[in-house]
Formats: sequence, C-alpha cells, structure tokens
Amino acid sequence: MPHDRGSNRLEFRGLVRSFGRVAVLDGVGGAVDGGSVLRVVGPNGSGKSTLLRCLAALVRPQAGIIRLVEDGREIDPAARRRRVGYVAPDLAFYEPLTAAENLDFFSRLRGVSPERSGVLLGTLGIPPQRAAGALSSGMRQRLRWAWALLDRPRLLLLDEPFQNLDAAGEAATRVLLLDHLASGGMAVVATPTPLELPHVAVSLDLSQPSAMAGAA
Amino acid sequence: MSVPARSAARRWLGEVVAVFVKDWRAELRTRHALHTLLLFSLTTLLTVSTALGPLGVSPSERVGVLPALLWIILLFAAAAGLPRSFVHEEETHTAIALRLAATPSAVFCGKTLFCASLLAGVELILVPLYVAMMQLSIASAGGLVVALAMGGLGLAIASTLLAAIAAQAQGRAALFPILAFPLLLPLLLLAIELTRGAVEGVMPDAVLVNLVLYDATMAVAGLMLFPLVWNP
Amino acid sequence: MNPGPASALAPAVDTRPPSAIWRALGWLLWLWIALAIVGAFLWAPLAQAFIGQSSRILFFHVPMAWASFVAFLAAGVWSVLYLVRRDADHDRAAAAAVELGLLFAILATVTGSMWAKVMWHAWWNGDPRQTSIVVALVFYAAYLVLRGAVEDPELRGRLCAAYAVLGLVVAPYLYFVAPRMASFTLHPQPVVNTAAKVDVEIRMLTVLLASSLGFTALFFWVHRLRLRLLRIDARKNTRT
Repeated sequence: MPHDRGSNRLEFRGLVRSFGRVAVLDGVGGAVDGGSVLRVVGPNGSGKSTLLRCLAALVRPQAGIIRLVEDGREIDPAARRRRVGYVAPDLAFYEPLTAAENLDFFSRLRGVSPERSGVLLGTLGIPPQRAAGALSSGMRQRLRWAWALLDRPRLLLLDEPFQNLDAAGEAATRVLLLDHLASGGMAVVATPTPLELPHVAVSLDLSQPSAMAGAA
Repeated sequence: MSVPARSAARRWLGEVVAVFVKDWRAELRTRHALHTLLLFSLTTLLTVSTALGPLGVSPSERVGVLPALLWIILLFAAAAGLPRSFVHEEETHTAIALRLAATPSAVFCGKTLFCASLLAGVELILVPLYVAMMQLSIASAGGLVVALAMGGLGLAIASTLLAAIAAQAQGRAALFPILAFPLLLPLLLLAIELTRGAVEGVMPDAVLVNLVLYDATMAVAGLMLFPLVWNP
Repeated sequence: MNPGPASALAPAVDTRPPSAIWRALGWLLWLWIALAIVGAFLWAPLAQAFIGQSSRILFFHVPMAWASFVAFLAAGVWSVLYLVRRDADHDRAAAAAVELGLLFAILATVTGSMWAKVMWHAWWNGDPRQTSIVVALVFYAAYLVLRGAVEDPELRGRLCAAYAVLGLVVAPYLYFVAPRMASFTLHPQPVVNTAAKVDVEIRMLTVLLASSLGFTALFFWVHRLRLRLLRIDARKNTRT
C-alpha cells in the first residue's frame, strides 16, 4: 500500500552530542522527504553512526530537535524508536535462535503478521532454519535488512547498508530500497566511501564544520 | 475496558510472553544460566553441609541459623546466575534490536518472569536437598512455600532491575552484587524471618505483609524506573 | 575554528568571589558549630544511664547520622529532578550529596562503634540501627562505584539517578521495618535508641538540636562547594 508521499518528512536541527571533550555532533542539521534519500558522508569518526543513532532514538542528543512526520502525523521520540527500520554494523541477533525464530520474535513484539518474515527471508535468500550464530557475515547483513523491513517502516536508517554483501545480496537489498522509496518511504544512508544511491535529494558531509544541509 | 484498550493490553501481554518464551528458548539451547545457578547453589550447599554437618548446629540454634544460611545460598546463586539476562544482551549487542522493537515495560515484565521462573526451578531442587542434608524439620510446609515464593519473587524483580543497570556499566556482572546487596538486605531479613516462622510453625503475619509490600514496591519502582534505565 | 554549539553546553560557573552575605554566613556556621561543641562538653549535663562522660558523643553521633539521612533524601530528590528534567546539574548535585552522605555515614558508624564499645564493651552488636547505618554506607559506596563505572555522562546520570531512587524506595524497609522484624536470637538484646528513652533535660535537647542544625547546615554548605567543583570539572571536560 503506497504511503502518501508528501506527508512523510524527517528534519533535524542543531544536533549536539559530545563524548567527553569530543563534540562528535556539533550542530548538525538536515531534512528528507518521502521518496528521497539523505546521504550522510564523512570519514571514520565523523559522527555518521552517532547521527543515525540519534535519529533512531538510541542515543539522546544533548541539544537540537528531531522531528519525524509520518502520514501527516508527528511522531514522538519513544514512538519513533519503535517505528524506524535500522540497519547498522553493530546490530546483532540471538545466536542460539534460527533466523526464522529471530524474526518471529520481533514480529510478535511489533505486532507484525507471521507471514511477513517468511516473505522477507525468501526475498533475501536467508536460510530460515540456520542458527543466527552460524550465519556468514553476508547473511547476517541480509538478516539485518529483513529485520529492518519487518514492520514496513516509513523511515529507514541505514548505516553502511551494503557492508559484507555479495553482488546478489546488494542487488536484492537495492531492490528493496527502491520499493521502499517508491511507496513514499524516506531513507537516511550513512557511508564512509562513495556509494551510488537512488533518489538522493541531499548530501550531508560531516567532515565539514557546521554541517548544515539544505532542506529538500 | 474499551475495545482499543483491550487490544492494546493483549498486544502488551503478547510482548511479555514473547520475551519470556524467547529467553527460555535461548536458555534451553545454551543452558548457561541454569548451569550457573544449579552448580553454584549445589556447591555452596555442599560446602555448608560438609562444614556444619546435620549435627553441626545445636538444636536451640537451628531455627536461627539454618534459614539464614538457606537464603544466603539463594542470594549468591541469584547474583551469579540472574544478571546474565541483561548482561548477555548488552555484550552481544542484541539489546539494540530489543530496544527498537519492544515496549520497555514488556521487556521488564518478561525478563522478570524469566528470572522468577529460573529461581523457582533452583528453589525446587535446592530446598528439598537442603532440608534433607541439614536435617531441618519444617513445621509448616505451606509456610515455607509462601516464604520461598514471596522472597524469590522479590529477589527476581530486584535482580532484573539491577541487572539492567549493571549491564550498561563497565564491570557488568561484577558490578551487580555491589549494587544489589544493600537493597536486597531488607528482603533477605524478611524472607529469613518468614522461613523461621515456617520452621517453627508460627507464621508471623506482619512479616509476610511487609514482604508482600516490599515485592509490590519493587514491582512498581521497577515498572517506573526500568524505561528510564533501558532507553535514553 | 569557531567552537560550535557543543561548547554552549558547558555548565556556567560563577567566578566572582563570594559575596559579603555568604562570607558572613560562613562565619556564622563556624561560630554555631563551635558553640555546639563547647555546649556539648561544658554546658550540657551528663545522661543518667551512660558511663562517665560517654553521653557527650550523642551530640555528635546523632547529628552525623541525621546529616547522612538528609544527604540521602537530598540525593533522592535531585535524582528524581534529573530523571524528569535531564538537567546535568541535578545529577551533579545528587552525586555530591551521596559523597557527603558517605562521609557522614562513616563518621556516624565510627562514633557509634566507639560509643557501643564504651557502653556494651563490643564494637558491634548487631543492633538494628547500627546495621542500617552501615547498610546505608554500603549503598552510598555502591552508588559511587556505579558512578565510576560509566563514562558517558548522560548514561551515568540516568543509571545513578535510578539507583538513588531505588535506594530511597527501599530505605523505609531498612530503617523502620526490618529492625522491628528481625529477631536476634543469637545476639544480645537489641538496644533501643537510648536518646529517646533517656531522661532528656532541656539543656541536652538544646545542644542536640543545635548540633543537628549545625551539621545539616554544614552538609548544605560543603555540598555547595562540592557542586561548584563538579561544575568546574564538567566545564573542563566539555570545552571543545
């Protein structure tokens, strides 16, 4: 079901997050609308992951505003946390459980119907009965994508999304990303290296001081 | 209850059950916590029983000493085996996905039920062994069950909340006993007193009321504080 | 390079010298406590049930225990404020309160043990109030250990505040309920707080209250200084 493209928007202003004396985020701002991608670039340590964690409400910024609007309704931080689709290198799943059991668990938590995980596992070619601990790094990355898309989020936060993926894996996930954007979803993609991405409306370069991206 | 409220409650209960089932499923495959809890409590029991023997404590002192020792064994076993419920999640980074997917109160209740069931299992094995090896005659078996249940529940609730705190700090599992012991002391004193009552056959009602109140206080405090501890 | 908005988060520290009023209050506090000490040794009479001059320790032991209790409450209040408002200064205030609470709890335990030794020839009795002050002491120490085990200030504030509130919630059981419940079949009969049972003369009461007030004021005075130091520390650590 396509979302109303025009009424999905993420914007953030003046984000500050320090760790000790290092101001990892020092007044970062940006915005992205439905159907578009906000690309975040910068070298290692420039704050890309921290920015995505702030947007996912995994980390509280010390200053600044984050505003998420989905289908015309504003979402508060606690709800935002449970609505985003998040892919990141440190995301991990329960090793003793199979891939299918992991997704079933999260389906129950988010109230997603059980067939959805089966569909995603099939699309991404993940062996459902293999224990998550026995998956290769490429398969784990595919599982992260499956997990992120479980609840059909409007906002995808992707931190190095194609890391460890082989050609087939990257192709499959790119298709999913395109589908997501086509149905009006937004995406914020963080990448240390140049990466070709569809529908990039805005680029945010964190290696520049006072990084401010123009609104799309 | 209105329809949306009822379905929201059902959703919440579904989350609690999901967390509980997931923890047990993982536990039954790795059996880490079970091994830790049982080995710890049984070796401690063996030490106590060997050192004291069934006649090591004079009859007049049995009522005072033996219940206290039992609860000390349970406390140490809990401190060894329960914090893993959160420490493991943080160490393996599965906590990230859990934070993004679940309602905090459901995580708290699910994990508490998991810890409580683990503790109940340990009590079921440990207590009969203890009673037999120390030749402790119990006047009121029902009273003993109540003491173990209420004390164990309080222990589980407090341990879950404190494990969530300790798991996010450096030193994790090692930090847990440091944080837990000052807060668990009143619980222990009450549980010991109740157990003494069960041994003697005279249940001190005031102590039971206070223990139930402690459990309730911990539960409320846990429900209110856990979301603040769990999420930024 | 211009400092960004992050440096605006550094806590403000008043660098002006203390005003005349504060200096006067400082002297007043010094004088008050000096008078309380003099009164404790020279003016107040001895208590009936006590050995020799030992009752004089009451004028210090009780206020110290009271001050540590005030510290506990203050830490709890600031912790709740922090959890609600997320103002880092409340977290610093709570931490300073716990540090001072630990100090006063140590002093209370030591003076109490000295007194117990004189009265009942044993440093430790298992007396419930003795136990509860030591447990409070251990709790403060645990809070400070937790504080040292978390680097990120936001996480540290949250975890410590939650722990402090938890301690506050459990405290009534520790101070009031457990002592009445626990039976001491192995220990000598528990000694009830004799300060209440002693034939309290007006002079004794006066000195006791004055000393309590003095110690409470001392707590807030030192707390103010300590909080200032913590703000300066935080400011040093925030500057980018």
